[in-house]
Amino acid sequence: MKQISILSALIILVGAFSMAAAQEADVKVTGKSLYEANCGTCHQIDGSGVMFLQPELIGSERANGPKGGVIDMILLGSAAVEPGTSDYGNEMPGFDFLTDEEIALIASYVRTNFENDGGSVSSTDVQSRRKQR
Amino acid sequence: MIKNILAATVVLGGTAVVSAGPAPLGVDESATVNPETGIRLPEGFKATVFADEVGFVRHIVKADNGWLYGALMRPKNRMGLVAMRDTDGDGDADETLYFGNKLRGTGIGIYDGYLYFGTDVSIMRWKLPEEGGIPTEKPELIAHGFIEKRQHAAKSFALDGKGNLFVNVGAPSNACMEKARTKGSPGMNPCPILEDFGGIWRFSATEQNQHQKDAEKYATGVRNAVALDWNPHADGLYLAQHGRDQLAEFFPEHFTVEESAELPAEEFHRVDRGSDIGWPYSYYDHLQGKRMKMPEYGGDGTTESDIGQMPLAGFPGHWAPNDLLFMTSSKAPEPYKHGAFIAFHGSWNRAPMPQQGYRVAFVPMDVAGKVTGKWVTFADGFAGTQEIRSPRDAKHRPMGLAEDQDGSLYISSLMSGGRVWKVSYEAN
Repeated sequence: MKQISILSALIILVGAFSMAAAQEADVKVTGKSLYEANCGTCHQIDGSGVMFLQPELIGSERANGPKGGVIDMILLGSAAVEPGTSDYGNEMPGFDFLTDEEIALIASYVRTNFENDGGSVSSTDVQSRRKQR
Repeated sequence: MIKNILAATVVLGGTAVVSAGPAPLGVDESATVNPETGIRLPEGFKATVFADEVGFVRHIVKADNGWLYGALMRPKNRMGLVAMRDTDGDGDADETLYFGNKLRGTGIGIYDGYLYFGTDVSIMRWKLPEEGGIPTEKPELIAHGFIEKRQHAAKSFALDGKGNLFVNVGAPSNACMEKARTKGSPGMNPCPILEDFGGIWRFSATEQNQHQKDAEKYATGVRNAVALDWNPHADGLYLAQHGRDQLAEFFPEHFTVEESAELPAEEFHRVDRGSDIGWPYSYYDHLQGKRMKMPEYGGDGTTESDIGQMPLAGFPGHWAPNDLLFMTSSKAPEPYKHGAFIAFHGSWNRAPMPQQGYRVAFVPMDVAGKVTGKWVTFADGFAGTQEIRSPRDAKHRPMGLAEDQDGSLYISSLMSGGRVWKVSYEAN
């Protein structure tokens, strides 16, 4: 009985690891490709941004801060930033037409790449943020 | 053997004849970048680093009092303008002063003993001290009433030397879409932005407190012309426009990523009173040599448009022309006397293709202001690297241009702390 319990725990553990690994792979492949298609032109493929026009995402305070800050930025664009506080010239559109899953993948990609360690975002996080808006 | 010697003599003779003729316009593509200055120039020109670490310097102008003045996009030492002077004539400024408390701006110019400066919402001027240095009197407000926006907000300007001030009022938009930079959003028709933006407004250069609403809309359909100058030879206003962004991103059915990197052209125009250069309804395709309908207004990359005048020249997409200069000095070298120098800041939106443009180009023109040949690269190497994937890879990006009374050319860059080069013709 004890052996069965250990076995089940192991299966769950391995399952959890493989789920996490699958999620990570999804962020690295799909998240990257969604980032490049929707964000890469302005923020640059390497996240380096454009001085005075679009913010750099490398080591960005927002990308490493609370999840909501990144989700709101993607959902609302420049409207997520308090007027008069931005040092960047170009306007960012909202990407609320993307699905919760797509936004979660982009947010996770930005928060776990470009020297950031803000951590990943789930589609449930996006869903609850969208509801608050 | 004799045959070989003869052949060698013919080749050498040919070389001698070529080198005895006038140097070709523009840089020699086989030449190397000067390691001291980091830039490459045409044969017969040399450069010095005139000033380093000057701040985020944008447009520059040389005054008769011997000082070079620059507008700063972000304050340095809390000041928005810089004044530089080379006292010993070695091509390196040895005095640098800052003024303009808490100001920031792009445009700068001189007329009738006054230094003009453009913030994002106003044009002001100071009486220039004859002895040089920084102004001692309070500034006067010349033009105001510009609506404050973030995008394309810089108020660059040109002075015609006859009492007129021409201000670029950039459109706070990419292509006048209903929803900013959003795929599938159509262009507004008519474009309401053109009422207050997207054109050149003419003011008196001397009257104080003029509101934009009382000024003349001199030219329209101009998305953003940071680069503009009065051509004193041809007596007209010339400008270079930043073309729209993201064709393939919004219209992948009509444009490949390669086409979107190359299109639309950065357009070089003469604009007279009442000119319309087409934005947002049309753009210039330099590959086809035609003016095309903008896709937000029903275009598909192949449909021509009859809205907007044809440009004098079209440059590759997204190169970002940020200053334009016509030489006036009699000491300017002959082939460059009447043409247009254009400073290209360099692209940010050609990805996934490499970024391009980081150079000063020259458009050969006659005294009547007509283009007489294909444009050439006058100075390059600024970026410090061949392959630029992102603008951050560039060490320097050309920004402003100014002429010295001795026929030299100053070039500014706001990158890496801010730098100004002085380019001289060796024969002078």
